[in-house]
Amino acid sequence: MNMTAVSALLDRELSARSRVGHVLLLLAAAAMATITGSLWATEPALPARTAAAFAVMTGMGLCWVAYAAWVLAARRVLLGRQRVVASGMATLFSGVALAGALATGLLAGMPAAWPAALVFAGMTGLALALLVRARRDYARLCRRREQLAQQLRSPAPG
Amino acid sequence: MSPAHPPNHDPLADEWLTVRCQLGEREAFDELVARWQLPLWRYARQLTGHDAAADDATQDVWLRVLRGIARLREGAKLRPWLFGIAHRVLMDRLRAQYRMPLVSDDEADLAAQPIDEDALQLETDLAALRDGLARLPALECEVLTLFYLQQLSLDEVSQVLAVPVGTVKSRLHRARRLLRLQLGVQGER
Repeated sequence: MNMTAVSALLDRELSARSRVGHVLLLLAAAAMATITGSLWATEPALPARTAAAFAVMTGMGLCWVAYAAWVLAARRVLLGRQRVVASGMATLFSGVALAGALATGLLAGMPAAWPAALVFAGMTGLALALLVRARRDYARLCRRREQLAQQLRSPAPG
Repeated sequence: MSPAHPPNHDPLADEWLTVRCQLGEREAFDELVARWQLPLWRYARQLTGHDAAADDATQDVWLRVLRGIARLREGAKLRPWLFGIAHRVLMDRLRAQYRMPLVSDDEADLAAQPIDEDALQLETDLAALRDGLARLPALECEVLTLFYLQQLSLDEVSQVLAVPVGTVKSRLHRARRLLRLQLGVQGER
């Protein structure tokens, strides 16, 4: 039996740094893919090479989004409060990005801002839904934890 | 016949650990490992027959546990859930290692089961019983290990192996006959 190996496994698997890193990667990649995708789709008369570069950058961003989402779903599972924090970060970041895109569209009149704003609005909605679910699950687990603590402190007679 | 539950069979304590792990409390994971590492390792050791293989398998089990515990809905069923993961890990490894099909319920032929002619005479202590178990086909060894050595209930064994309780009973019946056969043959030598 190798307890040292299991302990090292716990350290590695439960590392907060790795989780936060992948949440940030997910958000940054989603923002990058949205911005480059919007520019690629809306900027008129782009040189062929520039259009190709935007397409490649958008594809790369989406690949990083998929990778970070897969890691967070399967390899570095977010637990309890971590899910609340991660979905809170996602809500904040996508909300800021949405505000930036709207401001750019309204004040600078840049056409690429509108599809970006649409995507960021979708991301904000999704992040909000995840935040609500994470908070609900977290509250449920906390309530159950408290109930179990009471039961364990005062076991039923007999 | 149902075995008495072992000292660490406490569904309330299991759910307590599960909920704290799902909340992300690091010390709860340490307690989870301290509580279940040895039973899982013994189960793996029984089926693999080697310490090193049991170490590897148990580590794989913990990896899957850490990545899957957030999805465990009923914390009180932690024990069959853990052994269910261990069962899948061990079956995957046995299949990969031997590249041969396991004996199924339909295919089992008691008369055709090989008996180790060179085996030492079984003794009556637990060590000898483990020896005898190790000589059984994987399915029979596993069901006896879970029921008698790990002292899981019929219902829990059914959950671990993902088969109906009736199948567990028939496997147990066959496994006991095989073990008796082994003990009888070896006892005559």
